[in-house]
This record gives sequence, C-alpha cells and structure tokens, in this order.
Amino acid sequence: MFRQPLSRALSLPVLGSPTRVARVCTSARSMQVQSEGKPQPEKVEVFIDDKPVYVLPGTTVLQAAAQIGIEIPRFCYHERLAVAGNCRMCLVEVEKSPKPIAACAMPVMKGMRIKTNSDLTKKAREGIMEFLLVNHPLDCPICDQGGECDLQDQSMAFGSDRSRFTDIHFSGKRAVEDKDIGPLIKTIMTRCIHCTRCIRFASEVAGIDDLGTTGRGNDMQVGTYVEKLFLSELSGNIIDLCPVGALTSKPYSFVARPWETRRIESVDVMDAVGSNIIVTTRTNEVLRILPKTNEEINEEWLADKSRFACDGLKRQRLVTPMMKSCSGELEPVEWEDAICAAAAAIQNCPPDSLVAVAGELADAESMVALKDLVNRMGSEHVYTEHIFPLQGSGIDLRAAYLLNTKIANVEEADFILLIGTNVRYEAPILNARIRKAYVHNETEIALVGPEVNLSYNYMHCGTSPSIVQEFASGQSSHPVYQKMMKAKRPMVIIGADQLKGPEGMSMLATAQQLAYNLEISLSDKNWEAALDIGYKPGASDALQANPKVVYLLGADAGYIDRNMLPKDCCVIYQGHHGDSGAEMADIVLPGAAYTEKRATYVNTEGRAQQTLPAVTPPGRARVDWKIIRALSEVMGQTLPYDDLDEMRMRMCQISPTLVSYGETDTNSFMPEVIQLSCNYQKPLSCELDVEMKKLSDYFMTDPISRASPTMAKCVQAVHKQETNPY
Amino acid sequence: MSAFGLDKITKLFQIIKVNGGIRASLYKLYRFDDLKDGKLVGQDDFGNKYYENPRYFFGRSRWVEYAPQFNMDYDGSQVPAEWFGWLHYKTDLIPTQDKDRPKYKWMLPHTENLSGTTGQYVPYSTTRPKVEPWIPKSSKV
Amino acid sequence: MQHTIKCMISTVSKTAVYSMQKGAPQQAFSQVRFTHLRAPGPCDQRKYSPFPKAKSAGQWVVMRLDDALNWGRKSSVWPLTFGLACCAVEMMHFASPRYDMDRFGVVFRASPRQVDLMIVAGTLTNKMACALRKVYDQMPDPKWVISMGSCANGGGYYHYSYSVVRGCDRVVPVDIYVPGCPPSAEALLGSVLQLQRKIKRMKTLQIWYRK
Repeated sequence: MFRQPLSRALSLPVLGSPTRVARVCTSARSMQVQSEGKPQPEKVEVFIDDKPVYVLPGTTVLQAAAQIGIEIPRFCYHERLAVAGNCRMCLVEVEKSPKPIAACAMPVMKGMRIKTNSDLTKKAREGIMEFLLVNHPLDCPICDQGGECDLQDQSMAFGSDRSRFTDIHFSGKRAVEDKDIGPLIKTIMTRCIHCTRCIRFASEVAGIDDLGTTGRGNDMQVGTYVEKLFLSELSGNIIDLCPVGALTSKPYSFVARPWETRRIESVDVMDAVGSNIIVTTRTNEVLRILPKTNEEINEEWLADKSRFACDGLKRQRLVTPMMKSCSGELEPVEWEDAICAAAAAIQNCPPDSLVAVAGELADAESMVALKDLVNRMGSEHVYTEHIFPLQGSGIDLRAAYLLNTKIANVEEADFILLIGTNVRYEAPILNARIRKAYVHNETEIALVGPEVNLSYNYMHCGTSPSIVQEFASGQSSHPVYQKMMKAKRPMVIIGADQLKGPEGMSMLATAQQLAYNLEISLSDKNWEAALDIGYKPGASDALQANPKVVYLLGADAGYIDRNMLPKDCCVIYQGHHGDSGAEMADIVLPGAAYTEKRATYVNTEGRAQQTLPAVTPPGRARVDWKIIRALSEVMGQTLPYDDLDEMRMRMCQISPTLVSYGETDTNSFMPEVIQLSCNYQKPLSCELDVEMKKLSDYFMTDPISRASPTMAKCVQAVHKQETNPY
Repeated sequence: MSAFGLDKITKLFQIIKVNGGIRASLYKLYRFDDLKDGKLVGQDDFGNKYYENPRYFFGRSRWVEYAPQFNMDYDGSQVPAEWFGWLHYKTDLIPTQDKDRPKYKWMLPHTENLSGTTGQYVPYSTTRPKVEPWIPKSSKV
Repeated sequence: MQHTIKCMISTVSKTAVYSMQKGAPQQAFSQVRFTHLRAPGPCDQRKYSPFPKAKSAGQWVVMRLDDALNWGRKSSVWPLTFGLACCAVEMMHFASPRYDMDRFGVVFRASPRQVDLMIVAGTLTNKMACALRKVYDQMPDPKWVISMGSCANGGGYYHYSYSVVRGCDRVVPVDIYVPGCPPSAEALLGSVLQLQRKIKRMKTLQIWYRK
C-alpha cells in the first residue's frame, strides 16, 4: 500500500524538521548526553488501537503508530521535510476529541487513545479522498506516475467504491495551466493535490525559495510565482517526492510503466559521494536512475547529474575496437586484431616508456589489473589523471586523501570551514548535508575561496589562502578563527581543485595542520580507489619523458594532450565513451560503463561499493578488467585471475578496504600524515579558484554527462535563464 | 490383359524405358523416391526439368526433376518463381508461353534458400539502435 | 611501432563498419562469416557431404563418419507431440497421408525421452512456458526445436498480451522458424527438410577429433 517502508517514519527523531528545530537540537545534544549516561526524558504511554506504546514526548501520533507497525495514510507528510499538515489524509480518531485530528502534526499526550481503524477514521479518510479526487483528473492511463502513484494506491485502499461526483455537468473539474520549470521536470499542474512537498523540499533541502503557492482555496496553485526555471542541482528529487503525477521526469515521460521495468541496485560514479542508486532498465536499456535510500551517504536524495545523465550512456559509445589505419584514421577492427596490436605495442616498448593513466570513471578491478600488467612489463608508471601532491606522506597513507569522516557526521559538526571548494556542485549531496546541519543544528560555515552561492549563509574570509595559514599557525584574531576554536566538532573541507597547482602541497599541508588543530580534512574527486591501489597522481611528468606507449584507462578529462606526447608514441585508449581520450588514440578498446559491469568504486569517505550490471555492454564492448586480462594473455604475461572472485582476492591482497563493501575504515593515520607534511608548509600567494562556479558548469563534467542530451539541455536552460531571466 | 494386371507391368517397363533403362531408373528412384513417365514441358535456367502427365491424379500430374548438379541437395526453393505457378496449377501456361507476365529490369534472378551458409538472408533492423556509437572524426568528411 | 599497427590494420573488416552504422543485427551477420559454410553457386556440382575438402586422411575419416552419423540422425527425426494452439491442426495435417511425414522418418512420440525434435506449434503462454522448458530439458541430446507460426516466433497476434511469451526463443533455443499464421502443413514439411539439411551439417565427430 505504501511506497515508502515503515522504518523510515521511525527514523524521524534524529532527522527532524524546521518546525521542531529547537527539539531536534536538544535531541541531537541529548544523544551525546545519552552516551554519557544521563537520564532520558520519561517516555509517555499512548494507546493505538488499544495497543500500548511508549514513546518520547514530542513524538507525533503518526510516528507512534509506525512504531507498532500501523501505517497511517498520508500525502503531505514526509520524514525528511517539515510537517505541513495540509492534506488531512492522516486524520485519525482520538478518544475524547470532538473531531478527528491530523496524526502527522499532533504530538502525543499521555494516555491518548488513538483509533486508526474506527468508523469515524474510515469515514474521514474516505471524505478526504473524495475531496482530493473532485479536482484530480482521472487520467491515470496517460499519467506517468501510474503504477507508482500514492493517490492511486490510497484511493484503492481508503477511497469510496463509488462516485458521487456530478459537478462535471456543471462547473467541471478544476484545471490549471502547466508550468515550464526546466528541461528536467515536467509539470501537469491539474494533477496537483497541494501537498507542498516540493515547496518544502526546495526551501529546506535545496535551499532555493523558488517554489511556492499562490491563491487560496480552489484557486490555489503551486508554482514559481513568476515564470522561471527551477534551477537546482537537486531538482530531480521533487519528482520522487510528488505523491501524484504533477511533477514527473521530462526525459522519462511516456517511456515505461514501473511494472515493466527491472530495478537493479547500483552505485553512482558521477561525483565522489558514491550515492546509492537504483537503475531501472527494460529490454537492455537504462531508462532512468532513482536514488536508493542509504542513510550513511545520500539519505534519499540524488543529484541531478547522477539522475539524468543516464541517457549519456546510450550516446557516443565505443561499440567496437578501433585502430588507426594507414591514412591515420580510426577504423573498426576485430577484437583479435586490436588486442594483438596493443600487445605487440606494449611488448616492443622499453619498460620505462610504458605509461598507464587511469581516469576518474575507471573501476577498481580494471585499475588493479592494469597496474599488475604494467608492473609485470617492468614499468612503475601508473598514474591517475588528477593531480595530488606527492611530497610528505603523499599517497602512502589513506588519511591524506580521504574525507576522514563519514558524510553522515557532517550533520553533527558545529563549525565547517570550506577551503577553495564549491561543494554545491562538486558534491551536491554533501552540500545538502551541510545545509541540513546549517538549518537544523545551527552549524556555522566559513568559506575561503571564490564567493559562490552555496544555498546557505556563510562567513566569507576572502580568496587568499594566506588566511588559512594564519589559522593553521594558531595565532589569529580573525572572528572566524575564534569561532572555530570554540566549536566542539569543527570540520575542514578542502577542494580538490586547490591541490593541482605548484602550491598544492603547501596548501594541503597547511590544511592538514589546521585540521590537526581541529579535526577533519577532505578532498573531493572520484579517485580514491586509484590511490588505494597505488596509482600515482598526476601523469604529466611521465608523459613528458618520451613515453612509447600510453595506456589510457578512461582518461578523458583533457589533462593529456596528443601534442604533449612524442610523435611515434602509441596511445591505447580503453573506455566506454568516445571523448578526448579516444580521439587521440591509436588503438581503441571498448569497455563497459558503470551500469554494465560488476565493479568496485570507492567514494570520498573511503567506502568501497560495488555496482551491479543492469544492462549488457553495447556491441562488442567488454568488461574492462577482462580486456586487460585478455591482453595479458596475448602478451604471454597472463594475469593470475580468471574470474571476478579471483580478481577480488587480488584486490583484497592490495587493500582489504577495496572489498569490504559498504563499510568505511575509521582508522586514520592523520597525525602521521601531518608530521610528514608539516615541512612542506610554504607561504601561499596564489588566489583560490574553483572550476565549477555556476550551475551551468555543473552539468557536463565527465564523458557520460558530456554525451547526454538532457545535460546539454540543462546547460542551455541555465544560460537562457541567466541572459533573460523573465 | 487388364484383368490380370498385366497392363500395370507393361506400364512399369514402359516407364523404365522412358527413364533411360534400369540403371538410370534406379538412380532416379534413389534421388526422387519416385519414377514416372511424362512429357517434358520445359526447363529453367538452373537445368531443372518440368514434366506433365495428365494420366496421374491432379496434384501429381506435374512435377519437377531437379538438375543433376543439385545431387541430393535439392529443395523446393530451387524452383524459380516463374515455374512455381505452373507447378502448383496456378496457371496452365508455362513461362515461355505466357505473354502477360510482368518483366521489369529490376527483377532479380531467382536464388534458392541459402540458410545455414554465408549467403543466408539476415534481416536488417528498421528500429533506431538503442545505443548510438561514436564515429571517430574523419578528415575526409 | 606504427609499422606494426599498420601491418595489423590490413584485416579491417567492412562488416564491422556496417554494424556500427546499422546497429545490433548486423553483428549476427558478421558472425556468419566464421561459423557458416560457404554458399554454393546455383551451377556448382553438389556432393552428398556438405563439408569442404578434407586436408588430411584423419580428417577425411571423421568427416565420413560424421556423414554417416548425420544420415542416421536426419533420417529419423522424431518430434514431440507438442501442440499448443491452432498451429497444431496444421501439424496434424503434416502427419496425415496427404503430406505424410512418415516418409521422412518423422514419427510423433508422446514422451520427451524418446524425441529429438520439439515443434512448438502455437501460442506459448507464460503459464505454459515453464512446462515447455521442462519438457525441453527432458529431451535427450542432440535435440532441435522448430518454432512454428507467428505466435511461437515472436508472440504474433498476442505479442502485446499480458500472458504470452513474446517468442518461444525466449525460453528454448530455436533451430528453425516457420513463418505463417498458421503455416501450411507444406511449410512445416519444408521446415523439417531444412532441419534435415541442418543436421547434415553437424560436426559432432570433427569437433571431438579436433579436441
């Protein structure tokens, strides 16, 4: 009957909502207090359908009922949003109350006797349902929400079995003009039942007060007040939140029904957060991507790029091996020819001239295989595309490049210093967490770096990194520093963009020093697995040293240029999209994208997660690590793993964290890292800058999203909005 | 004579004679599981020979003897379309006699069913491919 | 380095280019080049054996043994009585004297343990699918499947029905597809002859010998 599992309603006391900010704060503090052994507030006893249940005071009737497994129907209530209490679907009878009460908004009182199944309750529900359906069109057969619609389900369960609706002959049903709120969300506003979930999501979670209601009573409309686009990096979530078909996915419109599709749980790779996703497929085609609830990572939200870039998986794909012909153009060839040519090229290459570079979408399996292969050939040149300072502890200690805390812990921080990062676009889910802390825990946030819109207020400390050094030195009279020192659980987040330049090491060392005085540091990009395996960051030095063979494993970010390489250098590109990497390659080996293979990815917390194959790789593309395994066999250097289990055993040998799925390692060698890096603190002179400043920079950042037409439309829409807002 | 079935035996010898002796008759029997006498009506491009004998019952009175190069590997698809109609009693006129048959220059020569060999027919898809491949940039275009 | 690559590139296949432009089915097309026998010309003299000329005496022997084995197999293809719908009526016609399947050594058997061939004659419903697969699994090797009629080929008229398998090849591997709704008994006869040709090409012993 209910789309959402029962357990979610139970998780509320910790998560809270703005109307109960005060209470949540106390409860968050009381959680710490609990661990210290102080008494909890006394529980009150209430009776739900004559069953006694003990709950904390302040719990709502709806949550109390959920604790003993009784679901009360609702439309407007949502665990992660403020209580609105406007749909009235959760009306229940309470003894000695003259009229039914809304369970979602009513806190329990001692000795309350609640009847969730009495005649009065049933009649109330039926009446509410009748009113809702008076103005709701009966267009379920052409509605995209059909089959996963709360209104549909609940009208079957609680609605009347016959209609008394005759107004169709007189004034007819209400009709509302559709709004254009962007290329991602389709609106059919006639279907709206005014639950205001989307409005609450926008203002609370996304931090954009664009949505709201106008008019009242029968004339009430949900909209953007003036005609404009709803531009947020989290906008897709209002599609999931909408209990009816008023807000549906535009790219997915009229594509499939939920019962036709197959749902495969997987992991997103578009940013460093590693959100859990459900890939919906039919007939070997990825149709859409939905978030999967994981309280530790993404709660139930999903960033727009992760959700909508999936149509990029069907475009610009490498479907057949290719080689440069005599005329210097890539032409399709058989696998055998391509592998033999690649093997010959690698074999004829002197060991020191073999360089392998892994991109940000490469999975742990293929990177392990490639490193093993390259090492067997006698070369140590395996690199990631992105740059990370190698001095100090370099990449020897995980603590140097991980977030070093859990994403969920962001909520508990009471001070956050962001250094040269635009978290909002680099990791939208993390930003949603920070905003949650900001809204619910009154966390204070300071930013060093370009002034960007982070969807919450922060103290801006200029763009010069010298202020970070000032903080790190421990002697500063800056008000931000004073606040930071007073905070119990402060946190420092440094953007990956800052570690690239010549002063990157110094920057990192300073941040680490600062973090040591405080607690935590972070870098965010999707490279943790590569560094775990032992890839060295930044390939530029090796590439300038006259390599003969360059093996690119999905390296498409454009750091490597053909002009950097010597003319007789052979470039082998293995990946799934035709992008900058494939364009400069001599041999192209088509691999599988993240929805097409069982592969391991490590997120910024150091949490290894695996994707599951939702569809088969297109054409002749193959799973990446198997390509490398096949190549090794042709070269006569057969790698000692034949199947995925043996592959995973090998990964376990390298780092057990790579195969402990879903878990994070709490052990960190932060003090050692800081000791090693403290010598590298140098005066910093450069200005901090970030790559992604505006929303239009966010949408197309990797080969998949660059190939996605939906993402291209988003960029266009943002530009249009910027140039001509109204 | 007919009372003793002797006419049947006479007929048998007649058929063997028409088919070119005992050896040839046995070979035909081996190939076609059948031995008939009839009037040679025509021959097609492959060398298949078409016979008719109205003495046999309707449905068996017209038949084809496949060309020798087909050996035991003959089948119905080796009868070209123009003879098919005659063989199946759709028309009584053999192709050479029928003036009304359409003859366009785009009509292809008949081919047999080549399933299972490299010449087999493979249908092409009329639907849009689900995955658009990347076509490398070409200097020619 | 460049030289090696240029040498390898001489084997560029045109079908691969074609497959890239046209999509999936062409891949089957390019596969045919490797697995199928060469197409004979209309005027080529055909031998009894479909196999190409033997390269060694040992190969010649196994080829002839294969021919003998295949002759046995093709001359007694026993199908299972597996009528699902109206196509089954045409299948009965095939059994009756006018088309007379017995002359090809085709004899219906009622038990899957005794048959080599399953003729899926009619609409395969979701409910029947598991029974069909079970029966298929019970058949002894080598076994063949003829998919008879539109419904068995791809769901046919009932393709969009909620209760019908969209083609029996989703459940069992099919050797011969017979088009028609229903196909005439003559078409079914033709399909059995096609199957016999296919059996004639089996390389049971040659594959064993190569190992």
